[in-house]
Amino acid sequence: MSTKTRILGCVLGAALLALPACGNPTDAASGGGESITLVMSNHPWQRGIEPLIDRFEQESGITVNVQTFAEQQTRDKIQLNLQSRSAAMDVYMTLPSREGPLFASSGYYEPLDDRLVHAPAEYRSGDFSRGAIEGMKVGGMTYALPVNVEGPVLYYRTDLFEQWGLTPPTTVDELLATAAAVKSRTADVTPITLRGSAAALPFTFGPFLHATGLEWTNDQGVPTFDDPRAAQAIDRYATLAREFGPPGVINYSFTESSTLFAQGKVAMELESSNELNSLVDPGSSTVVDHVGVVPVPGSAPTVLSWGIAMSPFSEHKDAAWAFMQWATSPEIQLELTKADIAPPRTGVAADPAYTQSLDTPTRQQWSAAVADLQDNGNVEVGPVGANAPAMRQTIGDAVGKVILGEAAPDAAAAEIQSGLVSQLAGG
Amino acid sequence: MTTVTTRTRETTAPAGPPAPPPARPRRRGEVTPVARGVWPLLVPAMVVTLALVVLPVLYTVWLSVSDLRRDGTNAGFVGLDNFARMAQSPEFWNSVRVTLVLFVVCLVVETVLGIALGYLMSIDVPGRKIFQGLMLIPAITASVAVALVWMLIYDPTLGAANQILTAVGLDPVVWLGDPDIALWSIALVDVWQWTPFMALIIAAGIRSLPAEPFEAASIDGASGWRKALHVGLPLLTPVISVAMLLRTVDLVRFFDTVYIMTQGGPVNSTNTLNVYGYRAAFIDQQTSYAAALQLSLLLLVVVMAGAFTLWRRRRSIDH
Repeated sequence: MSTKTRILGCVLGAALLALPACGNPTDAASGGGESITLVMSNHPWQRGIEPLIDRFEQESGITVNVQTFAEQQTRDKIQLNLQSRSAAMDVYMTLPSREGPLFASSGYYEPLDDRLVHAPAEYRSGDFSRGAIEGMKVGGMTYALPVNVEGPVLYYRTDLFEQWGLTPPTTVDELLATAAAVKSRTADVTPITLRGSAAALPFTFGPFLHATGLEWTNDQGVPTFDDPRAAQAIDRYATLAREFGPPGVINYSFTESSTLFAQGKVAMELESSNELNSLVDPGSSTVVDHVGVVPVPGSAPTVLSWGIAMSPFSEHKDAAWAFMQWATSPEIQLELTKADIAPPRTGVAADPAYTQSLDTPTRQQWSAAVADLQDNGNVEVGPVGANAPAMRQTIGDAVGKVILGEAAPDAAAAEIQSGLVSQLAGG
Repeated sequence: MTTVTTRTRETTAPAGPPAPPPARPRRRGEVTPVARGVWPLLVPAMVVTLALVVLPVLYTVWLSVSDLRRDGTNAGFVGLDNFARMAQSPEFWNSVRVTLVLFVVCLVVETVLGIALGYLMSIDVPGRKIFQGLMLIPAITASVAVALVWMLIYDPTLGAANQILTAVGLDPVVWLGDPDIALWSIALVDVWQWTPFMALIIAAGIRSLPAEPFEAASIDGASGWRKALHVGLPLLTPVISVAMLLRTVDLVRFFDTVYIMTQGGPVNSTNTLNVYGYRAAFIDQQTSYAAALQLSLLLLVVVMAGAFTLWRRRRSIDH
């Protein structure tokens, strides 16, 4: 064999070795029929929709490859796919209230307006509640379809409250007093659990800030944390977490809080309305018959919708759109109410099949609380801007220091103010 | 390790046919391995290395001296701005400190425990191989799974760790929620996961040691402890240093366990350099700054691994 032949052979061999690296993961998975990949966060909607996907596959002949991760891992996975402009993901769950401006300005969303205009009449694209569909828009363009409505509510143990003669709090001051009352009754039950994990904290902290009359930013778009009321809101939230929250609350998000409540270890839980299902699931909860739900104290709830979006780098956009329509259709959203997913469609919310299914006091209370946050909820779950995720981290880090006793509320407020000013300018 | 030792032996070997004079300048017209057509065999490895190592590193260097925006456009060369920002950032220096503390603590504890455990594992007892297999389980389990299980163990209210502490009359500990404790809790997980791996390498080393030096030491009246310290340990140094080198590279890049368990919190107390860089890239979406951070991490790995290799080589030659 001549040297030239050897060289040629080696170069060809190297090229062959490098080929798999250029491949697309969907190529291998696609098989004969069309297939799409759906990336979802571990979330009540995901747990509700997943068992129904078989129906879509049978009706459409499209295979849906489902990938589910914990919330933060899902975000990482989605951003990795989008940043690398990969076609390996077609549809993904998104929280436009958090990442909408960032993703829209980065070109990570496929615009859906044209497709919505041409959607069939039975899809009833005008049936989404105004707040839900507006929440899917950035700069007037629709980038996602809403799959639920949620916001923070207060869950409480009806049996314990009855035993101790307590009534559910309606203001932040009453919430602190109720937590103190529980603490004085017993050491075996933690008075309240709420979010302490930095990235997740603004969701439950927001109502405390709004209850003081403040927004995240003023009319000029300047952060409001230089107002003394912001330090007051931080102080109340941090006191609740530090004095009356569970040990290790600084790492808590919805999973930890709901596990603790379901195990009967805590009297109140400040969490998303979405968590009802895990608290009343007889398979995992020990307090199924003792769950009460009231609107978040302070009368300043926040409200948001999760949505599903299409990757602009998808190579199966029509199949992806078919799935998105199916998953947000009136029939499927009605079906999902059985999994305690509050419907973003007004038609479904008023459907007798849904309203009559609210057959327990817990579900009726929950439905009233969800209606309250739909009516009165502030749609700004955190400061709005392309830097939203980093801004939430700034708020979470600073409030976390107060929870840990490492900073005073005014110092934390000043830290947030300076952080947000530069992040808003940079966004 | 083996390569170094063998080379040392070869150069000092007195017996055998005379070796060709080393480093003799090659004469003109002499057939070199390259001319014999060996180098094309290297092409596949070179192409793969170029595509998967060299090009990404070069691209990272370019990113670190330019300004890649969120929308994917690059504003062009910005010099050392990203590095200057890094040097001025307290968060960066905190992450360097966290990385070095984790590195030193884990490496020392894993090495000491690894030697002790390795010695026990080198003793011939029935069922030794089964035990060795079981010991490998932590090392072959995915770090993500290990981290998730330890999160359950560390749960302050429902976890096993505090239940055990309470059962023996001790106060419960907030394992991952206290900035003063979280780093040590994570170090404990790493020690649990990787000490058996160190022990297995060291046990294999102990079993391959020659018996003569120990017999000679016995004849000279050395005690068991002295034999271990002055004969066994020096003979084992090459093996131990390889195990330490492997752990060094992993520990400086510490990421998965931390990211799953605390994401660098609480209050950045477990924010290793790798986690900090990752957060900069994927949460803050500051790709260029993250590239500068990752290059500093690369530099740290190269310096530490290089220093370690140099030390090993010197010790080996001395020996």
